[in-house]
Amino acid sequence: MVVSATTDGGQRKIRRNGSFGYVVPALLLIAFFFIIPVLMLLMRSVLEPTPGLQNYRELLGSTTYLRVFMNTFTVAGLVTVVAVVIGFPVAWLLAIMPDKWSRLVMAIIILSMWTNLLARTYAWMVLLQRTGVVNKMLINLGIIDKPLALVNNLVGVTIGMTYIMLPFVILPLIGILKSIDPAVLRAAALCGANKRQCFTRVLLPLSLPGIASGALMVFVMSLGYYVTPALLGGTSNMMLAELVAQFVQSLVNWGMGGAAALVLLVVTLVLYAVQLKFLNPNRAR
Amino acid sequence: MLLDFEKLGILRPFLIGLTALVCLFLILPIVFIAALSFGSSQWLIFPPPSWTFKWYQMLFADPRWLYSALTSLKIAAIVTVLSVVIGFLAALGLNRGSFFGREALRALFLTPMILPVVVLAVALYALFLQLGLAGTTVGFIIAHLLIALPFSIISIGNALEGFDKSIEDAAILCGASPWEARIRVTVPAVSHGIFAAAIFSFLASWDEVVLAIFMASPTLQTLPVKIWATLRQDLTPVIAAASTILIAFTILLMVLAALFRKGRKA
Amino acid sequence: MTQPFLSIKGIRKTYGQVIAVKNVTLDVAQGEFMTFLGPSGSGKSTTLYILAGFQDPTDGDILLNGQSLLSTPSHKRNIGMVFQRYTLFPHLTVGENVAFPLRIRRVGQAEIAERVSKALKLVRLEGFEDRKPALMSGGQQQRVALARALVYNPPVLLMDEPLSALDKKLREEIQFEIRRIHQETGVTILYVTHDQEEALRLSDRIAVFSQGEIDQIGTGQELYANPATHFVAGFIGDSNFINAEVLSSADGKAKLALPGGTVIDGVPMHAGKTGGKSASLLLRPERLSLSSHQVANGLAVTINDITFLGNNIEVSTRTGNGESLSVRLPFGHEAIASISRGDQAWLSFEPKSTHAFA
Repeated sequence: MVVSATTDGGQRKIRRNGSFGYVVPALLLIAFFFIIPVLMLLMRSVLEPTPGLQNYRELLGSTTYLRVFMNTFTVAGLVTVVAVVIGFPVAWLLAIMPDKWSRLVMAIIILSMWTNLLARTYAWMVLLQRTGVVNKMLINLGIIDKPLALVNNLVGVTIGMTYIMLPFVILPLIGILKSIDPAVLRAAALCGANKRQCFTRVLLPLSLPGIASGALMVFVMSLGYYVTPALLGGTSNMMLAELVAQFVQSLVNWGMGGAAALVLLVVTLVLYAVQLKFLNPNRAR
Repeated sequence: MLLDFEKLGILRPFLIGLTALVCLFLILPIVFIAALSFGSSQWLIFPPPSWTFKWYQMLFADPRWLYSALTSLKIAAIVTVLSVVIGFLAALGLNRGSFFGREALRALFLTPMILPVVVLAVALYALFLQLGLAGTTVGFIIAHLLIALPFSIISIGNALEGFDKSIEDAAILCGASPWEARIRVTVPAVSHGIFAAAIFSFLASWDEVVLAIFMASPTLQTLPVKIWATLRQDLTPVIAAASTILIAFTILLMVLAALFRKGRKA
Repeated sequence: MTQPFLSIKGIRKTYGQVIAVKNVTLDVAQGEFMTFLGPSGSGKSTTLYILAGFQDPTDGDILLNGQSLLSTPSHKRNIGMVFQRYTLFPHLTVGENVAFPLRIRRVGQAEIAERVSKALKLVRLEGFEDRKPALMSGGQQQRVALARALVYNPPVLLMDEPLSALDKKLREEIQFEIRRIHQETGVTILYVTHDQEEALRLSDRIAVFSQGEIDQIGTGQELYANPATHFVAGFIGDSNFINAEVLSSADGKAKLALPGGTVIDGVPMHAGKTGGKSASLLLRPERLSLSSHQVANGLAVTINDITFLGNNIEVSTRTGNGESLSVRLPFGHEAIASISRGDQAWLSFEPKSTHAFA
């Protein structure tokens, strides 16, 4: 049969078959040092100390570990909600404000994002400590009498994590909001919608896929965060990533460590797949 | 209306106010750390009673800080080169190839970026203990390469998307062999992507903490590991000094990147 | 017989089930301007890419001066090419772009400078050496690309719709330049386009591509006056087709009955494979004459619309059984005054000037 094959497509097809070789170095690296070690770790979770699922039974059955899960999901959820609620208006303004000003704000966002994670976490440890600036300011303003405990608990973790995650909400949302045609909202206004209706009926629905996608991304990233919770949270408020590290580093219990890692891995991959499948803003548009 | 800056009405001061607060929230901790690194208070009291360079002196007087910084620099440099080279090849293959499973492969290459680092760290640590790579520079490089590579593949891949393959074909018809065409034409044309890949790869390694904690040995520590270990002891202002240097370094990189972008436009 | 300069022999190219080029055979003389004309997907670009070496044919051979090109990789074929898209090297200046093929060939500095300035002069861009491609218009970029493709004196220059991204006025300007450059350099050019006007304007000969095959090769005039197939007739020039019944045919001439009963004789007949009883009759709009009163052997039509197009007037008409025919009359033609929309009119034509395709 004769089908009109556009010459372009045809060219691509024939000339680019040999290019598999180019991905081989990356593939070898990923296979040997990513896929194999992760699989080996998962094997150990069902083989050590004896074959069976007892590690998972213990992990999901004991109240100690359930508290860790609770902590993890609570913090990740809180961080996500706060970051989205604060991040959306900022992204909104950045999407429409004159370039001169938005560039300055963008520089600040990017600087905070690029600043060393430990430096940022250290800053919050100092700011939030009992004698720190935040407590001092609150006392001076007369809001509180005695310093609040802001570190070594989930409050500190939530503040520190929100700080880290905000740019990850704001930056993608700017793109989403910029891609909405202002004429749509002008049209809504001409149709008689007031500001609130314009927002709830037009702007919000149009940006919802982007918000959901960004929120899910932040949630997933927060679930697996290690450094900030470990430094700001203290030992009694452990999160899942710390648990994994603790099993391996302090307890040298590879079975339990592997099991906890698998739980984290599965939750991450499932949520990531959900994001890719249903919430990818690039696909929705 | 809601997307017209001039027509926001009362929403405008509200949005501007909130954005200003967020900017303060984002920038103040950084400014604060820089200020405290020059403050004399051991307990990091703000505002500091007086100003001093003694934390910087202490930082530079301790050879372990310098040594860990050099270790970081060495590892980050090697990771950057490997990440850019392997990433360029992989991006080229993904961009030009039509082989089976290309999209799956792209997703696979990007997974180390979305996976919780601690899972990767623990898994690699287990493997390296068996291979004898734990606590070695090679182990460090492999670990950091895994998380740097996705940045290279994305940056260079994006640049290649915007590069018309016909330009390479034109070079070939001009007499250049396929690899000559790639090196003399494609590489310079996507140099902004390569530059971005290099910066991101460098930062990915230079700032990386979690993998480093697991890969480190008492004698082989990167700067973040050294900061981490010190932080777990106490909140000494020496860390403020070290952090300030890191922040200055970051700003330098940002300025470099901005200059590079500007230079490309001109 | 003397050996042809460039010879394409039975080229075939398939991708699995898909046939991009079915069977292309063609000889090109040295210094000739040969155009591959056809709609997209007709195999013309694929043929060009095979010549360039970007694709290998499934079957067939290409000979340049009697030597097969197929085993030579693209970069050693010494062929010049101008692409559809702008392919200047973005990081190099205009001068460096044109020098690129010479640098690859390790030509000396002094000679490079001389040949680059000569090539830029040829495309009328002298003085642009230090400009970056991004700062030039599309037309200028394609002229630089042309200079780059000619600077190493390739025996053959391939051009793949080089003007398709330009607007009409600029396109005509550069067509003129290309003609001049062809005459000045005497280089053999293979030019791909889907624009018949461009093909007619530029080419010595045109190969009309359709569905992976060449339907006809000839000069523009030959293709217009004597189209070999229905497709060529429809692709070159403006055309009307109406259905007719073949009453008899012999020696390439046919006697046809038109709808409405008019019988015409002596129509050049191009029999297809079927050779059936019905045929498609080509009537060129500018070869039809129109009158408001009945004429012998005329075709009765109704006037649908009259459009003024500047130097001529297009009258669209409809036959009794609903086929549309457009007629082109020179400005000021006497028939115009006496007809208006909805009127009955009669078309007449010289049977020799028409073609029937079975």
